[in-house]
Amino acid sequence: MRAPRNAPAAPLLRSAAFRLGALQALLFALTALVLFAVTWWAVRGYAEGQLRNAITDEAGEMAALAPATIAGEIARQTAATPQGPFYYAYYDADGRLRSGDLPVPVPAPGWAALQVRTLARDHDGHTEVLALSQRLGNGGTLVVGRDRRSADALNDLLQGAFLWAGAAAVLLALLGGALAARSYVARMQTVAASAARIVAGDLGARVPRSGRGDEFDLLAEALNAMLARIQSLMEGMRQVSNDIAHDLRTPLAHLRQRLEAAAREADSVDAFRGAIERALADVDGVLATFAALLRIAQIESRQRRAGFATVDLSALLNTLTEDYRPVLEDLGRRFDVAIAPGLRTHGDRALLTQLLVNLIENALRHTPAGTPIALRLEAGPRAAVMSVADAGPGIPPPERARVLGRFVRLDAARSTPGSGLGLALVAAVADLHGIALTFEDNHPGLRVRLDFPGEDAA
Amino acid sequence: MKLLVVEDDAETAAYVARGLREQGHVVDVAGDGRDGLFHAAEGGYDVLVVDRMLPRLDGLGLLRALRAAGVRTPVLMLTALGEVDARVEGIEAGADDYLGKPFAFAELAARVGALGRRPPLVEGATTTLRLADLEMDLLRREVRRAGRVIDLQPREFRLLEYLLRHAGEVVTRTMLLEQVWEYHFDPQTSVVETHISRLRGKIDRGFDSELLHTVRGAGYSLRAPGGGH
Repeated sequence: MRAPRNAPAAPLLRSAAFRLGALQALLFALTALVLFAVTWWAVRGYAEGQLRNAITDEAGEMAALAPATIAGEIARQTAATPQGPFYYAYYDADGRLRSGDLPVPVPAPGWAALQVRTLARDHDGHTEVLALSQRLGNGGTLVVGRDRRSADALNDLLQGAFLWAGAAAVLLALLGGALAARSYVARMQTVAASAARIVAGDLGARVPRSGRGDEFDLLAEALNAMLARIQSLMEGMRQVSNDIAHDLRTPLAHLRQRLEAAAREADSVDAFRGAIERALADVDGVLATFAALLRIAQIESRQRRAGFATVDLSALLNTLTEDYRPVLEDLGRRFDVAIAPGLRTHGDRALLTQLLVNLIENALRHTPAGTPIALRLEAGPRAAVMSVADAGPGIPPPERARVLGRFVRLDAARSTPGSGLGLALVAAVADLHGIALTFEDNHPGLRVRLDFPGEDAA
Repeated sequence: MKLLVVEDDAETAAYVARGLREQGHVVDVAGDGRDGLFHAAEGGYDVLVVDRMLPRLDGLGLLRALRAAGVRTPVLMLTALGEVDARVEGIEAGADDYLGKPFAFAELAARVGALGRRPPLVEGATTTLRLADLEMDLLRREVRRAGRVIDLQPREFRLLEYLLRHAGEVVTRTMLLEQVWEYHFDPQTSVVETHISRLRGKIDRGFDSELLHTVRGAGYSLRAPGGGH
């Protein structure tokens, strides 16, 4: 029964975490092997030394006996412990075996490893005996040996212990790898599932957080922030398309009607010229709207703070006030201006100028003739606070967030000229500069408040 | 004047060329950037009108190559609608003025005129601008007409200075916004009209001849009485 190719069960073995676990298991096994080799080497050396000491002691005691009694003593010893641990052999000067249970030819003096056939037990009836052969004063040869049983047992014990410990370590590492892999795979699958939902069209889908604040949560936060930005851009695009469809269709339809009517009804050169001039004005209006839309889109997508410099807000406002004071005077309005000197911000001078012009023009357009306008700049909590206030009809609180959108015109303002893009541009420029933009009640009228960040604002 | 229009859209090129010829200019047309560069480097034009998007060699490339070759002919660059940073890029590449498409022909004609009659760049010597009995002292920031001192606001002074430097030419509202106010957008209120009307009140009212004229459908022109157009 093979799992289908896309089954989500398969990734466990392919998971990076599992591969890491397997690698760790291999490393554990190697470590156990090296540890074993070193320990074995040391233990073996120690056991051999002990063995030799025991043999040397026993041989010394035997050699110290009177030569005549050696054969008897050996016979007694071998009879008492027929299966070792000590083995003996005593040859006379002629090389004849006089006594003992080491059935070997006379060995040369010194150490030797002998294979001894034993009746009792051990591997196929043989056992290895370490033996010390020495010449005695009477010309005889005494051989004392001891089997390696105890050293071998120690080795076996060691081997067993390391085998089990190594196997356990490897198994645990694999298990740990599998567990980690399972949790990683599960977390990754939630991310993949969110991505799949977004691909399928659910732009609101987000990567869930575990709440543990681990690296996966960091990843989820980063992804979600990116998704939110993408969603807002997508919605912006959709909004713009809708806006263009709605708000440009009307003037274009009017233009078409007028041209059609002129073609049908105009009967003089002057009538045609008049129709063409009106049509040109219509087209210019549509083009201005397009230009404003593109400009807003470009400001919104602009790389933050590119080309920013220190801007002297006080000087900028003073100049602007001088330029607009005559305009307001001609319109029969009072322009109340209070500008604190020396206030600066960080930004794009041209865009800030347009923002301020748009705010003043917005106040002019949406208030009855003769209504005074007040402009104020003062030091604020961050760097500077500017307000443009009028005593016009104002914006009711529920509408205040809405007017920053594109093409939004309150019903009261439907009849006034304007593309409905002025405040959208103000919002875009304010956002780019990190300016907090709020609408307040001027009792009566509207007060637009701009809270500017300082020169070194992040 | 002898003009070169580098524009790949045949309809626009023909429209621009025809309009400029009607105004008495000699106009050559090149259909792509390399052709344009070849012609511009060759022969004695007074002003080049260069589209930014061109086949084979784009407008900015043409401009850079031209400036690198030491050709200083004034260039008016045409750009697509709504390109916020196009002006800066164009100026950096060596353009003298720029105009976003689509444009009114009067706007193009006024800008070509302004570029063609540019005074030589050694301006340090000029400390006084003069037209008929109107006189502007740039050092003392003082304006007199018929010997009478006229008191101007700073912006009015800059406006009059620009008009004097382009005396006899038509300057459009957009040119004034860009050059005098440094607004690179179109304000909906009548800032320009208001200042023009105030300036007119100060330099023309009470004198026997008018210097500041409104050119219908195009803009404004400061010219000496009897200078005609």
